[in-house]
Amino acid sequence: MKFLVTKDLAHSQLLAYLIAAVLTAILLYLGLDVVLHGYVIGFDMPAIHSTLFGNVETFEEPILIDSLLLQVHIDLFITIFVLLILSSVYIRLHDKTTTMKWVLHALFVSGLLAPLSLLLAYFWSEVFVSVWVVTFIVWHLLALIITASLFTRLNFR
Amino acid sequence: MKKLTFFSIPVAYLLLYTLVILATGIWLFFLSQGLNGSAGISATLQKIITSPETKSLQNLVEVATPHLFAMGALIFVVAHFMLFSTKISQKNSLIVALLLFVLALLNIVSYGAISFGLVISGWIKLISMSLFVGMFLVLLGMVAFSL
Repeated sequence: MKFLVTKDLAHSQLLAYLIAAVLTAILLYLGLDVVLHGYVIGFDMPAIHSTLFGNVETFEEPILIDSLLLQVHIDLFITIFVLLILSSVYIRLHDKTTTMKWVLHALFVSGLLAPLSLLLAYFWSEVFVSVWVVTFIVWHLLALIITASLFTRLNFR
Repeated sequence: MKKLTFFSIPVAYLLLYTLVILATGIWLFFLSQGLNGSAGISATLQKIITSPETKSLQNLVEVATPHLFAMGALIFVVAHFMLFSTKISQKNSLIVALLLFVLALLNIVSYGAISFGLVISGWIKLISMSLFVGMFLVLLGMVAFSL
């Protein structure tokens, strides 16, 4: 973040290309992360329910808490790194408005709530399955929109 | 912090995420030691002290490898925000960050001492984990104070 804050690098072409490259990597990550969670947790509501709570009809056991917690632990770590990079570039390249402030809060809160709602669903209530679906989609969509918007702001010569 | 108005938002959330990552990490460790519905935290702690779960070299490497990178990266990212601090000296920040790196390493390798039979009790893991988490909380507090 220090590199992104300093004004000395504001007109660096190398930094512009490096940011474009890291944004491309993040874009690919966001797409594959959805696919990965589809495989691990489920692509639709019945599949998500079967993963978290098991299925009596198909004799499916619920996911082990060890496996779920490990997924949550890894998700939190990767999410904070992706969001830190993305938000740093976003703040650096866009106008600092009240909308930006709310977008940042929505991004970080949904990114945190998504993995936590999986645990809440597992231990507390099935309602949090819907919370997971919504927050997971919200943070991925927001991140996708921000990433796309940043490409137009990079000054390539 | 120096004038970073909007940058303070991601920094604040980083602190929150780090707290949850630490909490889930501790929880995962206790689960690996037999924490479940029937055995409470105190019973699990007792079990770790008297007879910690045996782990093979493969188990140790599987846990240590991602943690060596992840802990190092997380400490670096959190600690580098102290560069912007106007309230806490760089010297104090350096001491805390370096101590944290050492404690992270100690925390990662401490279970090896149990697995290789150097110590029988799991107290070494509990102490190293407590020191690491405690020092990380100090660093998080320093960043929060500097915001």
